[in-house]
Order: sequence, then structure tokens, then C-alpha cells
Amino acid sequence: MNVLVEAGRLTAEGRPFALATVVDVERPASARRGDHAIVTPEGALHGWVGGACTESTVVREGLLALADGESRVVRVEGGCASEGTIELLVEPRLPTPLVSVVGDSPAARTLVELAQTLGWRVAEQLESQADAVVIASMGQGDEEALQAALAGGAGYVGLVASSKRGSAVLAELRTRGLDEEALARVRCPAGLDLGPSSQEEIAVAILAELVAWRHTKPVSPGQLVEPVVAIDPVCGMTVTIAGATETAVHGGVTYYFCGSGCRRRFEEGAERYLEATS
Amino acid sequence: MRDILDTLARWKASGAKVATATVVSTERSAPRDPGAMLAVSESGDVAGSVTGGCVEPAVFEEAREVLAGGGARLRTYGIADEEAFEVGLPCGGTVHIFVDAMDPATIDPLAKAIEEERPVARVVPVSGPNAGAERLVFADEEAGDEIGRTAQELLAAGETAVVRVGDDEVFVDSFAPRPNMYVFGAVDHAAAVAEIGRFLGYRVTVCDARAKFVTTERFPEADELVVEWPDRFLERSPVDERTAICVLTHDHKFDIPALKAALETNAGYIGAMGSRRTTEQRRELLRAEGVSDEELARIHAPIGLRIGARTPQEVAVSVAAQLIEVLRAPKESRAEAVTP
Repeated sequence: MNVLVEAGRLTAEGRPFALATVVDVERPASARRGDHAIVTPEGALHGWVGGACTESTVVREGLLALADGESRVVRVEGGCASEGTIELLVEPRLPTPLVSVVGDSPAARTLVELAQTLGWRVAEQLESQADAVVIASMGQGDEEALQAALAGGAGYVGLVASSKRGSAVLAELRTRGLDEEALARVRCPAGLDLGPSSQEEIAVAILAELVAWRHTKPVSPGQLVEPVVAIDPVCGMTVTIAGATETAVHGGVTYYFCGSGCRRRFEEGAERYLEATS
Repeated sequence: MRDILDTLARWKASGAKVATATVVSTERSAPRDPGAMLAVSESGDVAGSVTGGCVEPAVFEEAREVLAGGGARLRTYGIADEEAFEVGLPCGGTVHIFVDAMDPATIDPLAKAIEEERPVARVVPVSGPNAGAERLVFADEEAGDEIGRTAQELLAAGETAVVRVGDDEVFVDSFAPRPNMYVFGAVDHAAAVAEIGRFLGYRVTVCDARAKFVTTERFPEADELVVEWPDRFLERSPVDERTAICVLTHDHKFDIPALKAALETNAGYIGAMGSRRTTEQRRELLRAEGVSDEELARIHAPIGLRIGARTPQEVAVSVAAQLIEVLRAPKESRAEAVTP
């Protein structure tokens, strides 16, 4: 399996993974500069970046990258007797934001068309896991759509309407019992104020606001991947987090162990097991 | 109307009669601009739209009456705010819509002129002695009479409106050629800018002196690809207030002559890509070439609104947003419009 082809497949399917790339080696080492591997959220590693000696570290850092959305440079020193030092770049590859465009209107269709050119995922109805929701139902059930969108976790909720019409919709939601905190999340009119008027111009103004919004929040919580497995820092085994009993907290990070033996050894000298990375 | 030309041509080929409803003018906010068109065929098929969908049912009924021989008509859909929930425009605006039976003989020449970017207006006297005498008026032909001259004036301003000419009230639907967007620098950002330029209705030309970068594979969205130095290209190409010039090479060798040439035109938008440092260096080089601070202020650099754009596609969105902001200044109407 070609790792980059697999990476392309996962990206196309909108599935998260971490990509590890060897950026430097000090011989002797079995990996070479430019070697790639993929770490899945399930803790599986595909590809060759130095074999069993580096695998546990790469998987652990890959899972961390998926959980916090940050890339990291990882140095593995002497993972095995035969190995020198390997330096890797581990990058989270999270799905592009998912935008729900609600409404069967020319404005909605135009926005869907333009959002696709940005390479974002676009749904033409409300999706519970959407990062952004734009309501362009143009008066046909705006209130219901907004209420449903606010009940979800979307970081951006925009309503396409004039400010006057928007105030009327928000007033109606207030009478339905929505609190001010929820109502304050609604951007209305949706989009940067460019003085636009055509469908295409409104779509550009909304996308520009979405890009700006995403820039202030590089990764929305909905995109991050809660790890389901962890790597035992002592023996390198994969441990399922749910229901794990052998755990230890060190420097604010929770570590998981295959058994009490590994946990005790870790507690006796955690630095010894963590110094392989920087 | 451009969006439904293909459908109109198909209906015409099938011999069906067609009624069209066109937005003539709008007050306050309205979902679509003057010129937006809804067409209804004899068999009840619908193409296009005049608003966001709120008054379409009423307009559809008017079109059916016109097809049944009811005659052309002007209709106003304006909604009191408290009624906005019930029937009309969610934006609380008012639209004036002209509904008439389209003369099938005008469809093909109209489509041909639009295709060739030849300025044309569809002219229909609504009331008065010439009522119903539909015709096409071209910018490059003798106007013939007062109605023709008035239509040419509106066409030059790119306006669609109902105007009074002597005893006639005349509906003039202008099809000005698409405005030009000139993209200099056949870089990745240029492909994204070309795509969104097309989306906004521009005729997009990508120009670069380096032939190996200027290929249709890289720029499928461009209307025209030109291998030439941008400054020379500008000297021979039409530029007006609607023209957008995007300088994207961020290589001084190409940018400096291109920007100097752009500043000699009356282009409505000039933007130049590059980091803050490149931008500052470029300003110094242009100053050394004798460009004044006033002229430098016409250049939007670094190009695009500050929205934190990173990918070429995001940069293209920031450029498009800036274009709209800069070029969408309110325009004075040249002809006196009739408020129906």
C-alpha cells in the first residue's frame, strides 16, 4: 500500500488521520528521510518510519496531534539497539470544515456552489456535526432552522436575511424561550458587510466571513479526534482508553498501561520512558 | 437572464410560446438585481427567478395570463414589514417586475450578441403609441429614433429600467458585456482567482510572459490565456471602470511594469499580491519610477481583505470580497427612471 495514496483516500472520505514524515536520520537507522506513515484514530500505523523501535512513539504523537490539532516534530533517540536517531514531522490531517447550507433558495444553491470551490465539505441540509450552518431558507421556516442549528454544536451560525427581518426572527425565537447567549451566536445578516446585493456577491461575503471565522479558530472542537487508544510508554503496547484501570498522571498528561507492572516502572522513573521524544 | 438563455433557446426550438418576467427596479434590499428573469413556457415549465422564491408563485400566475393573451404588465411587490411573514420578501424590500410575452424572433440574435460580448438591449415599449413593439438595440448600430438613443444611453451605463421617452413608457433590458478581469502571473493563486472571477460574472484573462505556465490544464476557468508581458498586453486591451486587474506574480521584474501600466488606466480595481515586505519594496521601486503616493494608494496590496486566508482558494475569496467592496459603490442613474 502506498502511504500517500491511502492518505488521499482518507482525505477524500473526510476521515481524520495523522501523517508522519521522516525529516532527518542519524545512522544507523532503517528509515530514510522522506519515509511516510499514517496513524489512524484507532491507533493503527500504516507505512514504514523505522519499524517497531519508533512505532509506539509515532502512534502516541499521532494520536496527540489528532486530539489537539497541532503538528509536532518528534525525535526518537536510540529506540532500539540497532537504531540511531530519527526525527519526524507528525501532522494532524483533520477533515475540512463541514458547512450545512439550509434552504431551497437561489441564495442557498449559489452558496453551495461557491463553498465547494473552497474545498470544504458542504451539506445541503442541517447536519448535527456541522462546523458552520448557514440558514438561507428565505422566510420558509427560518425560525425552526435556526432553533435546530443553535441546538447543535456549530461554531458559526448565520442567517441570510436583511437586518430588519433578522431582528424579527430573533424576536420570535426569544418568545419561544431561547436565551440571549444562544441568540448572540447568530450572525445576521450572515457575511461580511460588503454592501453586496447579487446572489453571487452575498455568497462571497458569507464565505469570506467563514474563512475569517475559521482563521480565529484554526480547528473547531468538532473536528478534533478524542483518542480511543493510547500507547503504554513503557512497553509500547496499544491500550484501550475506555475502562482502562492502570493509569498514571505525569506533568498533567494521563498515561495508560497494559498492566500494573508497566505502571509501577513508569511511576518509579517516568523521565526514562518519556525522554525518547522532544 | 444569461442564466436561462440556453433554456429559452431550447423552448424556442420546440416552438413553445414563452412569457418572461424581469426585475425592472428594486427599492431597499431585494434578493436579485434588475435584469433577473423568470421565464414560463406554454406548458408551465419555469426557468430562472426574480426573487428568492417568495413572489414567484404570484409572478407565475401573471405570466400564465400573459401567455393566454392578457397583454404585458408591470407589477409591484412591496411588503409592509408586519406582513413580511405572510407573503412576500423576507428582506422587506420592494421589486418592480415587468411581465410580457417574449418575441421568439429576438431570442437567437440576443443569445448570439450576448455570446459574442456585443452590447445589446432588449427594448419593449410598455405603454403609449409604440406599446408592444419589441426590438433589439445594439450599441454599435445607428439608434434610429429617440427610443433607440435612450436605450443606447442605458446600455452604456449597464442599466435595466423602465423609462419615459416622449409618450411611451419603455422597458430597456441591458446586456452589457461582462466586465474584464485581468490576472497577471500564471501562479496557483491565479487559477483560484480566475475561478471565482468567473463566478462573479467576469470575463477572465490570465496573462504571463512565461509560456510554459500558461496552459488550459492549469487554468480551465479562464476565458482567455495570453503569453505576453502584462504591460504590453494592457496597452492593447480594453479597460474601463468595471475592470479588475490582479497582479499575482510577486516578482518585481514582472510586477513593476505591470503595475505602472495598470495605473495609467482607469481600472476600477488594482490589486497586487505579496508579503508586507515585498509590498514595501515594490512601493519603493514604483516611487523610484516616478509613481506618486496618490497613484500608489490605488493599488490594493497585499491583495484581498484581511480574513486570514491561507490556501489559494481562501486568498481568492478574500480578493473577490475586496473586489465587491471596492467596485460596488452606488451608481447614479443616467436616465430618469419611472417609478411604476
